[in-house]
Amino acid sequence: MGSALARHYELMVILDPDLEERTVAPSLDQFLSVVRNGGGAVEKVDVWGRRRLSYEIRKSHEGIYAVIDLHAEPDVVAELDRQLTLNESVIRTKVIRLPEAKKPRAARRPAA
Amino acid sequence: MPKAAVRKPKKKVCVFCKDKTDYIDYKDTSLLRKFISDRGKIRARRVTGNCSQHQRDVAIAVKNSREMALLPYTSTAR
Repeated sequence: MGSALARHYELMVILDPDLEERTVAPSLDQFLSVVRNGGGAVEKVDVWGRRRLSYEIRKSHEGIYAVIDLHAEPDVVAELDRQLTLNESVIRTKVIRLPEAKKPRAARRPAA
Repeated sequence: MPKAAVRKPKKKVCVFCKDKTDYIDYKDTSLLRKFISDRGKIRARRVTGNCSQHQRDVAIAVKNSREMALLPYTSTAR
């Protein structure tokens, strides 16, 4: 932490429903080591568990959802996302950059 | 009876402006469901009464939500 570029991200992952639900947390943790090694911090890991999908993905109507809150630099998160999408048991990922606690309105433009 | 009665324009105030929301969460499907039709289409602003900024935020949230299969792209009429 402490890096000036660390931003607040939220990562949502949909995992293969055939996975054992107990193994989800440890395997996610393994992925998240990229963040820890990259000087980021994992705030919260929330495993929603098995949930019905609104439409079929990969011939399945279910998926295991997990939401992760983290602070890290952009390229670390990009690497994490890349590694996740390479994994067969990951069905979908989404990275959202959350608004900072107090967003500086004027900081939209690159500071001089 | 002359002309049909003039429709009184009911002034709607954007619900998000009222609560001063500045981030619409795509995970909050129960909230977003209020802004989509039974078929899964996003409701128009003239129906929802949202301001332009918040209507746009809602649309983005719905689309993110669809990508993660939390909301349907289409659903057949019930």
